[in-house]
Amino acid sequence: MAKQHGLIAKFETPADIMHAAEKVRDAGFKKWDVISPFPIHGMDPAMGIKRSLVGRFTICGGALGLTTGMLMIWFTGGSDLSVPLMDGYKLIVGGKPFFSPQFAFPVSYELTILFSAFASIGGMFILNKLPTHYHPVLKYKDVAASSDDKFFLYIENEDPQFDDEKTRVFLNELQPVEIGELEE
Amino acid sequence: MSADYTPNPTKWLLMGIAGIAISFIGFFVAPQIAAWSYLIGLIFATSIAIGMLFLVMIHHIFDAQWSVIVRRQAEHYISALPYMGILFIPLFGLTYLKDQGLIWLWMNDAASLHGHGTVGSDVLYQKKTWWLSEPFFWGRVVFCFAIWSYFAWAFRRNSFSQDEDGAAKHTFSSRKHAAGGLILVALTWTAAGFDWIMGLEYHWFSTMFGVWIFASAMRAALAVMLLTCAFLVAKGPLKGIFNTKHLHDVATLAFAFTVFWAYITFSQYFLIWNANIPEETFWFNDREEGIWWPISMILIFGYFLFPFLYMLQFPLKTNYTSMTFMAIWLLSMNVLDVFFNVLPSLKDHDGHVFQMFSSPLNVLWYIGGISGALGILLWSYWSSYQKTKIIPIRDPRIQECLNHNH
Repeated sequence: MAKQHGLIAKFETPADIMHAAEKVRDAGFKKWDVISPFPIHGMDPAMGIKRSLVGRFTICGGALGLTTGMLMIWFTGGSDLSVPLMDGYKLIVGGKPFFSPQFAFPVSYELTILFSAFASIGGMFILNKLPTHYHPVLKYKDVAASSDDKFFLYIENEDPQFDDEKTRVFLNELQPVEIGELEE
Repeated sequence: MSADYTPNPTKWLLMGIAGIAISFIGFFVAPQIAAWSYLIGLIFATSIAIGMLFLVMIHHIFDAQWSVIVRRQAEHYISALPYMGILFIPLFGLTYLKDQGLIWLWMNDAASLHGHGTVGSDVLYQKKTWWLSEPFFWGRVVFCFAIWSYFAWAFRRNSFSQDEDGAAKHTFSSRKHAAGGLILVALTWTAAGFDWIMGLEYHWFSTMFGVWIFASAMRAALAVMLLTCAFLVAKGPLKGIFNTKHLHDVATLAFAFTVFWAYITFSQYFLIWNANIPEETFWFNDREEGIWWPISMILIFGYFLFPFLYMLQFPLKTNYTSMTFMAIWLLSMNVLDVFFNVLPSLKDHDGHVFQMFSSPLNVLWYIGGISGALGILLWSYWSSYQKTKIIPIRDPRIQECLNHNH
């Protein structure tokens, strides 16, 4: 048999898996997850998951977008800066100043949104460790049921608290339908 | 009504009467500025009530779950709309007893425009007489308040009757009223914005103005809603009913309308700035004179940027203390924004823009105008609060609302 990745337990109802998750959280496990066919309301606190950090990426992207827009328009239309191959070109449009935040704002605002969106998507990929093309759970015989009507909870053997015997006993106490092993 | 907290509406009525009394003294001491301050107070209080009316209608049209207990507070506030209509009567009296052009200059044909003849000989007025005629104007005021009072009455009747009998027909009736009401109240509130504020400077026109006054009303109402709910939670009646998820949702709406207000206000400014046509730009030029320049900067940074960055943050939106602070901040800025939109339209006989603190006594009339209308609004709220249940206990969605959580 291949190297063991962890232990997996199968549950029948959302309530069962929620209570199981609470116990795993309270037992102090770190490397574990829950697989469900649909989002379960209240699962995040039951698993002890904190608020997502994607927002931090978004605000950075937004601030960068606003700055980029303002600087770009100032540089091309209003500055005396001379950069090789990228000289600004001053144009008089409608008797307006060469640069003013007013007319730079719509474009900067669009860039704020665009960069926020990119940063959010990028941040989501980074935080979720995407793309993940393979996961040991996919090899488990019964995993297809997790996209139908069954719920799974697995604990990786890389978890500092993991001990094949003790964790098996612990999982049994959660009263799952069955317990299986995950292969690497 | 909760057993452990007994409100005292009378003290708010006294505040309202005191404010109105100050305004009435002002009508004799400094008629013009007192009348304008009275109008500002009236616009401010009415916009809170109109924003609440919109919140009720938006709740019903979406068949929302989470806002059932919030809606009950809004239903108390909209009870003030008929009183706001009554508060309009002194303005009617003033323009006829005192001076026709005291508030809305166009009402006085003989009023002289600085260096440009009189209002009656002004072609820009002559072309607008079909809309800016006095019978039509006062007719619109009556019509607007009649529409608002009707919808306020209908939603309150449905909701309070449901407390008694629990019948579903009240919910359906409210939903139908919301569908028609959203259109009618949007149109009448736009007309009110055009008439009451834009009409102060009849040369000027902006198609964005109706949207701006809608955004302004929503922001004022949401700030008051945050304060009301935070107060009722702190005092006990809503404790354990209104939770931080409800707070978060109301705060998120306040955040959304912060962005919406900024979008509308900037668009209005930007289009006029970009087109650069003198007949439009003068309105903003007036608002860059003297103290109005720093005030306009305070509005950009204090009414948009600061609340925007503040309410971006989840922990601040789910904390009663921090949202109470933000609600008070937003409400103060809302008053300032109303001042900014109304007062610079007032010119002295040399054509100079009126300055907010030109005389220390002005502040007294401002306080009188605002506390008068606000006192009546709060008196109306607490009187209605006393008579009904704290939440709509038989609303079909009440259980879903109570279970609403993060």
